[in-house]
Amino acid sequence: MEWQFLGSVAAATVILTVPAHATVYLTVEQAQQALLPGIALTAFPLHLSDAQKAAIEKQSGVAMGKSAPRVWRGASGELFIVDEVIGKHEYITYAVALGGDGAVRGIEIMEYRESYGYEVRNAEWRHQFVGKTAKAALKLDGDIKNIGGATLSCRHVTDGVKRLLALYDVALK
Amino acid sequence: MSRSNSLRRARPLLGTFVEIRVQSDSPAAEAAILAAFAAIARVERLMSAHRADSELSRLNAVGHVEAVEVDPWTYDVLAAALRISGATDGLFDCTVAPALARQGFLPRRLQRAGSGHPSWRDILLLPGRRVRFRRRLALDLGGIAKGFAVDEAVARLRAAGDFAGAVNAGGDLRVFGPAAEPIHLRDPAEPRRLLRVGSLKDGAIATSASYFAARRRNGRRVAPIVDPRRRTVIAASRRSVSVIAADALTADALTKPVMLEGPGSAEFLARCGARALILEAGAPPLEIRRAA
Repeated sequence: MEWQFLGSVAAATVILTVPAHATVYLTVEQAQQALLPGIALTAFPLHLSDAQKAAIEKQSGVAMGKSAPRVWRGASGELFIVDEVIGKHEYITYAVALGGDGAVRGIEIMEYRESYGYEVRNAEWRHQFVGKTAKAALKLDGDIKNIGGATLSCRHVTDGVKRLLALYDVALK
Repeated sequence: MSRSNSLRRARPLLGTFVEIRVQSDSPAAEAAILAAFAAIARVERLMSAHRADSELSRLNAVGHVEAVEVDPWTYDVLAAALRISGATDGLFDCTVAPALARQGFLPRRLQRAGSGHPSWRDILLLPGRRVRFRRRLALDLGGIAKGFAVDEAVARLRAAGDFAGAVNAGGDLRVFGPAAEPIHLRDPAEPRRLLRVGSLKDGAIATSASYFAARRRNGRRVAPIVDPRRRTVIAASRRSVSVIAADALTADALTKPVMLEGPGSAEFLARCGARALILEAGAPPLEIRRAA
């Protein structure tokens, strides 16, 4: 182990600001390959009725909010679902793979963005990330690879997965 | 190091986001990342106090009645926990779960355990990987198992090839490879601001801070850190503590004692081959290490 402290004065002057942490990990295609390798997936258009949304909320105990999951199906009934969760400080796109039996096969974070307060809930702020490629996000991230510091809890993603399992029961079984 | 041949993945594990980054995009590196995540998931299944079905929860249920044989990983983490409890004179103590549960940081069922004043000294490690408690207590490895999980993940990655990389589990960060990596920390006064504090080669840095984890209880903000001497959680502060050590387990465990002792931590840090950084709102970063 070799540690080099930058020094009190220098460390205090090297300050970088927002976004503290914004990373694209996987594109949709990469996430599909990572979670369901070698399985051909076809987009499955999903239109939830208000009754279905209510049923999902009731079963999962998690509000739908603006969630609009995108669904793909494999030949043997596998499902690949992309969804988003918005917390107080974060905006996360994640993918869940379900087997033909509806059991979770894997979860991958696709995009993780942190911000504070209103920005996350503000549509315009979020819009700036729409269509961003992995490359663009990496540039945004610069060379800030190692952020030592407390990170957020993953509770919102855990809730999101609960919601997707209810979605499976209500609309995809 | 170019980014074109690197892989970066994140999964929700251990109650936080675990990020793995390697400077390779070979199939071996891909497979190693999966193995590393699997190791972390295994630590969670064994040692999570949040899961009623974990090995730890079973141990908590009967450990005061009979000796329980545990997984080698659980045994190793317990042995390390007791070693660090000894080195810090009990400032690190993994029997403080009831105090955390009372404040809503851990499941409510853990409040009941721990009548009297159990401490780390009530944990007995017996031959044959068996564990027994001298009295009823609630063990919580939340302050050390995350570091162990990072170390196990790094071991999987290093075994797979000669590439550099990093594993970051909710602020427990370990880097490996031939080059020193720049390390940034969040400014505890404004966590979206990052401070570049130094560089680290083949080592770990773990951080405790209450900027995300604090809860409001009875009108005051409290942090999920217990002072074992008072058996109560400490007030949330605009301070972050980072410990730098050779491995993530040691770094993770020591953040709590340093949070309690501040600059007085130099001796026990040195005993564990570690040093610390304290960031406090309005003050320059302070390095704590025993004078050479």
